[in-house]
Amino acid sequence: MTSYHFDIGSRARHAGRFIGRVRGELLRALSQRKNADRLSQQVLAEKLGIQRSLINRQLTGEANLTLRSLADLAWAMDMEISFELKKPMAEAGQNQPILNQAMATSTVQYSQIRYINGGGKRVSVFAAPANPETAQAKKSA
Amino acid sequence: MATIEELVEANAISRIQVEMHPRDQALRLLYGTPGFIAWLGELAKGSQPERRLGEATPAEQVDDLFNTFLAGQPLVYMKQFRSIRAEKNAVWELKTPDIRIFGWFLQKDCFVCVFGNWADVIKDHDLYRGYRIAIRRLRRELGVDETLCVQGVTPGDVLSL
Repeated sequence: MTSYHFDIGSRARHAGRFIGRVRGELLRALSQRKNADRLSQQVLAEKLGIQRSLINRQLTGEANLTLRSLADLAWAMDMEISFELKKPMAEAGQNQPILNQAMATSTVQYSQIRYINGGGKRVSVFAAPANPETAQAKKSA
Repeated sequence: MATIEELVEANAISRIQVEMHPRDQALRLLYGTPGFIAWLGELAKGSQPERRLGEATPAEQVDDLFNTFLAGQPLVYMKQFRSIRAEKNAVWELKTPDIRIFGWFLQKDCFVCVFGNWADVIKDHDLYRGYRIAIRRLRRELGVDETLCVQGVTPGDVLSL
């Protein structure tokens, strides 16, 4: 086996990565504040009136974070939380999904270049259809 | 002198990949020994006993860690990765709340996973020394101790931060 794809499923992947992103953001923010203003977990704990070990466990992921505790930590670090839900949007330059599952590589497949108005100056390139039979049917119709 | 390609061809290691966001590219490389891949397969199937400290399941934690690593995002030193001992050819540990993964850096930004286990099991039985010795032995057997092993022990030696 030259390659192993670790796949836990879409739902679990989304949940795990969101939780990881929130914690990673907290860790990075505290690390930045620590370097800049010497803000330690101890100072945060004193400000919030809780034990330092609880903050440590929340940051490392060993204790659950509630929305309240997340807001409290951000407040104690003098940071603002930015939260947004949006539909996934395709962006210029991003990877394309593989259209044909049988393809062995991730190379995007293109059909032949079609010349418009019979000229050789302007060309248009189309992505190949996922199902060639459907495309053939459309063409005959 | 063995190369990474030769190690892969000899089935000594396999490349590990995860589903990445369309905006992300793999900027780092991750490999695993056959034993580690088998352990990972069990973890993905969820056959490991259900016990965890944090909100995410162990499989979710590992998926997130691998994605963070592969996408080239910053990892927090000591919290998410560290060397077991500050020594030449160090053995490194990748960390999630519940899971610890041991291995070494073949090159900068290129990690090979050898052992994975529960954090509490490792702490309760003090398995750090045993894993470190086993990984050093494996590297000697593969003949990569001097050639395919990052010598430095600072975070910047092993990861582009």
